[in-house]
Amino acid sequence: MSDSKLRRASSEADEDMPMDMSPMIDMVFLLLIFFIVNATAIIVKTDPKVKPPIAKNAEPQKNADGRIVVNIHDDGQFTAEDFKTYLADDKAIAAYVKKQKQRHEKEAVDSKLHIRGHKDAVFKHARKAIRAAAGEGVNNVVFAVYNKEL
Amino acid sequence: MARHKKYESIEDSNPALDISSLIDVCFLLLIYFIVTSTITPRETDLMMALPGESEGGDPPDIDPMLISVESSGTVYVGAGPSRQQMDSKIDERNLPLLSAQLDLYSSTANAANETPLVQIFVNEDTKQQRVIDVLNALAKYKINSVTFTDLLDD
Repeated sequence: MSDSKLRRASSEADEDMPMDMSPMIDMVFLLLIFFIVNATAIIVKTDPKVKPPIAKNAEPQKNADGRIVVNIHDDGQFTAEDFKTYLADDKAIAAYVKKQKQRHEKEAVDSKLHIRGHKDAVFKHARKAIRAAAGEGVNNVVFAVYNKEL
Repeated sequence: MARHKKYESIEDSNPALDISSLIDVCFLLLIYFIVTSTITPRETDLMMALPGESEGGDPPDIDPMLISVESSGTVYVGAGPSRQQMDSKIDERNLPLLSAQLDLYSSTANAANETPLVQIFVNEDTKQQRVIDVLNALAKYKINSVTFTDLLDD
């Protein structure tokens, strides 16, 4: 009698056998780590309409701290880092740089102008952005480039 | 009946693991790697400092090298009567003639324990790629003290 009770209890335990979740959890953590690493590798958001020039001796982007991103389209239009905010003229660029610089100062980070200029844009537009930034006291300039032909 | 119960008990003690979800995730990872590696190349940095950044201290003993870039893409070194034409092929990214001049100039500066200085004048209609070609040549010789002049722009 006690033997049959034991058998019944054992059978019920088999029916409620939990699924081994460890491989799934392993993979989820792997995915999570991959996304975190990948998210830090892409330093700044890239406007898909801007195709940067090529320079083989450029250095890899190390951090995003203090970058004030200005996109320059091939037709000379300027956009901010979100590539949705259009910067109409010098004053708009200067105001944008000033606002970003103030934000960086609160974080105790040195600001630098990050120019993502289209390879076919003429240089006077880049110069306009550099001048506007210099007027706000941002003297370091970084040109975004690709280090190989696409 | 007793034999049947024994058989069932053996089957339950070896449950098969369902690896379909694992395979799903692996394929997802594979597809993600393939897509990101081909579509989004990583951007790199070409850095420079404007004159305000390098102000202060004693004036350098070495004369800065003046480079000018015309709207046609032709690169010149020097000013006035000593101006020399360098590279003019707009599709050439390496600028061998300018690189040779920069090599000579940076060697001379380093021999004199001076920091090589370069001033660049760029015509306003020059394409961004051509200016980057010049900055790329400077980066090759680790020349960081670069300034843009606006001599004839305004």
